Amino acid sequence: MEKKAILEIKGYTKSYGEGKKAADNVTLTVESGDIYGFIGHNGAGKSTTIRAVVGVLDFSEGDIYIDGHSVKDEPIECKKITAYIPDNPDLYENLTAIQYLDFIADVFEIDEEKRKEVIKKYADMFEITDSLGDLISSYSHGMKQKLAIISALIHEPKLIVMDEPFVGLDPKASYTLKQIMHDLCDQGIAIFFSTHVLDVAQKLCNKVAIIKQGKIIDSGNMDDMIGNQSLEEVFLEVADEQK
Amino acid sequence: MNRSSLVLLKTLLRSTSQLNIYRYGTDKKKKSRVIGNYIGMSVLYLMLMAYCIATCIGYGQIGITDAIPAICVITISIISFFFTFFKTNGYLFNFKEYDMLMSLPFEARTVAGCKFMYMYVKSLGWYLSIALSMMIGWGIYAKPAVLAYPVWIILSFFIPVIPMLIASFIGFVIAKISAGFRKTNIVQTILTFIFVLLVFASRFVIESVFKNGKGKEALESVHLYVDKYARIYLPIKWFENSVCRLKIIDFLLLIIVTVTVFVLIFIPVGKSYRKINSNLKNHAASKKYSMNDLRKRSVVNAIAYKEFKRMTGSTVYMTNAAMGELLVMIMSIAVLVVDIDKAIYTVLQGAPVTKEMLYPAVPFIIYFCIGMAATTAMTPSLEGKNYWIVQSLPITKKTLYQGKMLFNIYLTVPFTLFATICFCISMKTPFMTALLSIVLGLCLCAFSTAWGCVCGIKHMRLDWENEVEVVKQGPAVSLYLLPNMFITMALMVLVVLLGTKMDQNVLLGGLIVIEATLAALLYRKAMSLCILP
Repeated sequence: MEKKAILEIKGYTKSYGEGKKAADNVTLTVESGDIYGFIGHNGAGKSTTIRAVVGVLDFSEGDIYIDGHSVKDEPIECKKITAYIPDNPDLYENLTAIQYLDFIADVFEIDEEKRKEVIKKYADMFEITDSLGDLISSYSHGMKQKLAIISALIHEPKLIVMDEPFVGLDPKASYTLKQIMHDLCDQGIAIFFSTHVLDVAQKLCNKVAIIKQGKIIDSGNMDDMIGNQSLEEVFLEVADEQK
Repeated sequence: MNRSSLVLLKTLLRSTSQLNIYRYGTDKKKKSRVIGNYIGMSVLYLMLMAYCIATCIGYGQIGITDAIPAICVITISIISFFFTFFKTNGYLFNFKEYDMLMSLPFEARTVAGCKFMYMYVKSLGWYLSIALSMMIGWGIYAKPAVLAYPVWIILSFFIPVIPMLIASFIGFVIAKISAGFRKTNIVQTILTFIFVLLVFASRFVIESVFKNGKGKEALESVHLYVDKYARIYLPIKWFENSVCRLKIIDFLLLIIVTVTVFVLIFIPVGKSYRKINSNLKNHAASKKYSMNDLRKRSVVNAIAYKEFKRMTGSTVYMTNAAMGELLVMIMSIAVLVVDIDKAIYTVLQGAPVTKEMLYPAVPFIIYFCIGMAATTAMTPSLEGKNYWIVQSLPITKKTLYQGKMLFNIYLTVPFTLFATICFCISMKTPFMTALLSIVLGLCLCAFSTAWGCVCGIKHMRLDWENEVEVVKQGPAVSLYLLPNMFITMALMVLVVLLGTKMDQNVLLGGLIVIEATLAALLYRKAMSLCILP
């Protein structure tokens, strides 16, 4: 399969008052079929970058392109081909899960047959089909996370952006999500996600970037970056070097 | 409205619909609460409608039937303006599901527009209750052409829109200015306070202009007031002409201008929407913290301090809970510098009341500002999803609510004391009466705290999506406010009347005993509610 740049972050900088930069000249490229891990300490700038990629956060310097469309200039085009799974999904608690999925499917204009098929497929995989008629307020954190994942996959996006996707998932659901990520990657979909679970990132990702205090301090192919070491060892080494 | 707007609006409405909870929820307690809410709301709607019809009958009997349409527009406009203004931050900006909505392929303008429409639909029931019941009252006396009724009904849907749009736009400007500051919350709160005070002040300016121009007639004639307002705010005139004279041009003008203002306002809002929300929701990490001496507090004081930080950290909570205190502060300083006799004459619009007659009413006047919002009525529900924090602490519920009550006392008592002393100095109140007024003021603070706590615990609702649902629309707040407001208004009049018939100090003493007893009983009730699981 021919590789194509799906997500290009070019010199993205997010400043707050008094010269404080949450993201400083972040540049990276995620290609189709990549599973790209984005790792860093708490407060390093991972979520700030992810929120800018999905068009939630405004920024002034640099640009972000999704399949050639600028997030700044063509936000709707970008969002149509992107899926976002936040770390702590704020879903509409007083809707039932199926009402929520229906809403997302309506927004992406998915026809009835297709939405039924996709929802059934992923709800079965995450074993929440029986609970789809329940109010989201009755869901546990893990179930909400599963629902957010299903809602992100409804419109078959080209890029999936996830912020700490494994938090709150039970072991089986974590395994299912990894399987799904592999399947999507095989279909040429690009996945960009942040995580603190470095051994998962090492096994799952073909590319990785390490961010510290808003700056990318190392990035590249997983194998080239870690060599014979573990990702954890590399991360700690690189992060300490920058102190 | 395009397809995506309709999809979003439908979902927004459904996501806060009590009916959805009733239909799909499995929790019986929640379901019975939904029924209770529906019954409670129906009673409130009926009360409001009965009040509006009775008011119109009153207008009809004193021969000012033709002013009713204008009064209807003025009433709805003022209510919708303030309702919306206080909801803008929380509904239009800074709302919880912002990330989820903005990551979907919606234009920023669509999200902002739908959030506005959501506010409109959610409060439309109140505005229609007023409009339609006033139409009935007006119809009884004016006996208009049949066509006037459908015209009135159609325009009722448009009357609240322009004031709501203006309030939203002001909220937008405040949010835009605050978003440029590091301490966005504080700036937003201060700007909101300033704006509300300006609105209150402008009312007096407008009235003084009328009085300067027309002297006594302005006070005596409702028509003059209505005409003046209609000149300032044209939709009053358009509505009046549409229903009274069936003028099609005015009917169309009202509709077209409303739609145009909607479109025009959401162009700049849409353009800055993402930037404003980004800044409001993101705060840079502070500079390196240096560990200073940490202060040890008692458990109850620690909870009270937590309540203080909770209030100051939220613009919605702060502007609702502390607005009365701010008004009282300004009022207290004002009575020291202005001639009190003139002030009484102006406020009471020439009614034959002397300052001596008002001595026993002073605590109630102050309480009318301070006591209409009690933090204790809001704070149990405001714990929301963080309720587990206080639940997991090694303290009893009694201690928890004592801490919450202590905060309300800390908030209300200093202002009550300051205001009572200022009023007593300005009015040259005799020493004993002043002392009794201070004691009564303190009893009212205790009453308000305990009554708020009873309402807050009994009607605690933790599953809210937005603070506004608790602070402005919560059943606990409504139950606390409405009887409190009407009884206080009645008491203000009653004590003035009784004060002329009996010794004012005896009257104040009696009121102190009643208020203290009520406060004690309510405190006991609140403590007994803490035993419940």
